[in-house]
Amino acid sequence: MSASLQRGLNAFKEQIDAPVAAFFSSCVRCGLCANACLFHTETGDPKYTPIYKLEPLRRVWRQEYTFWGRLARAVGLSKAVTDEELGDWEELVYDSCTMCGRCSMVCPVGNDIAYMIRKMREGMAAAGHAPAGLVGATKRAVEIGSPMGVKLPALQAQIRHTETEFGLEIPVDKEGAEYMLLLSSMEIMNFPEFIGAVAKIFKQAGVTWTISSEAFEATNSGIQIGVSEIAAELVQRIVTAAEKLKVKSVISPECGHAYMAIRWEGPNLIGKPYSFKVVHILELLDQLRAEGRLKTTGMESQRLTYHDPCQVSRRGGVVEQPRNLLNMVAENFVEMPETGTMNWCCGAGGGVSSNERADEIRLKAFNRKKQQLDAIHPEAIVSACSNCRIHLEDGLEEYGMDIPVISLTETIAEHLAGSEAAGSKE
Amino acid sequence: MTETELLLWVRGPALQIATVIFLLGIVVRLAGILMLGRKKNLAEARGSAVAGGLRTILTRFIPDSGTLQRSTFNVVAGYIFHIGLFITILLFAPHILLIEDVFGVSWPALPTPVVDATTVVTIIALLAVLVHRLRHPVMRFLSGFQDYLVWLVTILPLVTGYLAFHRVGIASPPTLIAIHILSVELLMVVFPFTKLMHTFSLFMARYYNGAIAGYKGVNS
Amino acid sequence: MSRITNDTGFRKALDALDATRQRLVAARFVENVIALCSDERIARVVAVAGNSEAAESALAEALKTARAATFDCHTRCGSEGDWSEQAGYFVARAATAALTPPGQMPSGPALQAALSCRMAQTSKSIVTGDDTAGQEGEQQYRILSEFLDS
Repeated sequence: MSASLQRGLNAFKEQIDAPVAAFFSSCVRCGLCANACLFHTETGDPKYTPIYKLEPLRRVWRQEYTFWGRLARAVGLSKAVTDEELGDWEELVYDSCTMCGRCSMVCPVGNDIAYMIRKMREGMAAAGHAPAGLVGATKRAVEIGSPMGVKLPALQAQIRHTETEFGLEIPVDKEGAEYMLLLSSMEIMNFPEFIGAVAKIFKQAGVTWTISSEAFEATNSGIQIGVSEIAAELVQRIVTAAEKLKVKSVISPECGHAYMAIRWEGPNLIGKPYSFKVVHILELLDQLRAEGRLKTTGMESQRLTYHDPCQVSRRGGVVEQPRNLLNMVAENFVEMPETGTMNWCCGAGGGVSSNERADEIRLKAFNRKKQQLDAIHPEAIVSACSNCRIHLEDGLEEYGMDIPVISLTETIAEHLAGSEAAGSKE
Repeated sequence: MTETELLLWVRGPALQIATVIFLLGIVVRLAGILMLGRKKNLAEARGSAVAGGLRTILTRFIPDSGTLQRSTFNVVAGYIFHIGLFITILLFAPHILLIEDVFGVSWPALPTPVVDATTVVTIIALLAVLVHRLRHPVMRFLSGFQDYLVWLVTILPLVTGYLAFHRVGIASPPTLIAIHILSVELLMVVFPFTKLMHTFSLFMARYYNGAIAGYKGVNS
Repeated sequence: MSRITNDTGFRKALDALDATRQRLVAARFVENVIALCSDERIARVVAVAGNSEAAESALAEALKTARAATFDCHTRCGSEGDWSEQAGYFVARAATAALTPPGQMPSGPALQAALSCRMAQTSKSIVTGDDTAGQEGEQQYRILSEFLDS
């Protein structure tokens, strides 16, 4: 057995905890998870059944932790997991799964399949079976500080541009600010307007904030590829910066997996609780709204719907806040059929979008989102994750649908009341 | 072996062995799960894990509307045979008498004709479930030896029980009863080593699911 | 001779333009930065956008093309970013904005196009290291002034 396969199998073993054992013990092969997964519903291919994506991990569990499994292994009757199989499973675990967790919501015996996929990726990565795109992104994240290679000078240029554009200061390395904002490379590169939107809102609401020049990256590639040491290192950079700047709270921007990484996995990765709070930008905006510090004017009259980013909503717990915010500025807001924590994934998260090999399956899976949209005919889609945003656009383009996709934070910023927010429309 | 000897063996030593394997197997399996433990969650909680866990144990009994629409057969057939098993095992007078003998507790039975009809419905449901498992692409793809074995050991007590109750003439009544009890013992012996464990482990699985979600403030 | 000298004036003037005029001036903004985009589809769609006689169908087709080009030019999440290429992405976004009907872009297609063009220049400056903040904006004031006078 090769060293890397052994590493992978050891990682599988280490990842098996009581929940995993309870889940595998309880699976009755009912197949309900298949119809909760967009990769299966839009292809009809049984191999995309969520629980099947875990088959190698299940075999390791059976052979290590069950009576017959151990007996069979002892007498040489069990089928060991091979390197070739892990190779076959790479596309199931990384290309056709975003860890969206919809399967986890419908399993009648209660299996949290997405939880197990996250764990399985640790073994897959250790065995050298993670997609090349993700490996590259992770390497860049560790060496450069950004999975997309965004360096500080680039961010500084975007900041200068934003300051000039809006006539607002973007505070960098300001010690003692209440909030430290993280940014995803996707936003810095593709949607830099987000920075200006946040600056405008915070100015109006009187929020003291800053960006850290030493840790501005929100995206955590370690979570996506499944290498906890790297994920921990990336979180630690943020923790160190937050502590150095003595902020009370760290803000996770419009990115799904970034929130999961910093809010829910972070302390467990680094092995200790934070000395600060973590909020998603939507949580903070909703809090400002509730405190009366967010003043908006005017309403969007176009028919809008909201796409729940899976890691923010179903897996993250930020479900009501975007709706409260949208209701402030939208008079024609309709929910998708199956919404909130049961909304359907855009198909691109969890590393799928950085994997060119997955393009075809991703676009096929988008048909699920298309059907949701066909049922309500929105004139625009609002979301709060840059990756969802760009891939909703891609999917809509592929299916010939003419619906703009807009950011919730930017929409709020556009509706800010008063001239203190320089450059806003009255 | 005479029919009396068979019956005595089946109700005696065989039952003892089966019961030991059944109970010990279940306990060892569940303990094995618990002993693996799970790491303490160091992230700041938004909601209650315990409340979430307990809640999900109950709410997973009800499918969401999307699942009901897309997987109608599995949901409906599944409910029918599970409820059928519950009724035929626990609400049948002779079974309740047996339980009273062993544990000293009893409860009202359903009228026997009702249980009888339920048995037939359950058997039909299980046959339909087998056909579905063999024909539906996802079911066929997922299923292996264990799934068919479990199906067999689940339907056998229903069929043999029905035959015994109706004293169908293929064998003498005592032999029919012996075969029925034997089929139950087979089920008991197979139980802890198969997916039948879901009967107990699903409470843990649902709890963990709900706890993980509840900690984050999500109702799963 | 109308002279636009600051951003407030710029935005007000743009806002006052009707849909067709917004598209035409937006096309001029994009032409000013077209060299930053290597996708030849953009040059074609900008020509359509800048044509005051363009038919509805041609505009719709151009918009689709612009959107496709925008997606193709963006840096995928997790892939290695290249700011020269990213400049092209912003040019494509500007072209898309130019062709978008105002109803779908409440803040104004021409303004969005202008902002995206400035972003394209900023992206380029990240590569060259020049400090160009504000320069493209100045050029856009001139372009708008000339447009209003024509």
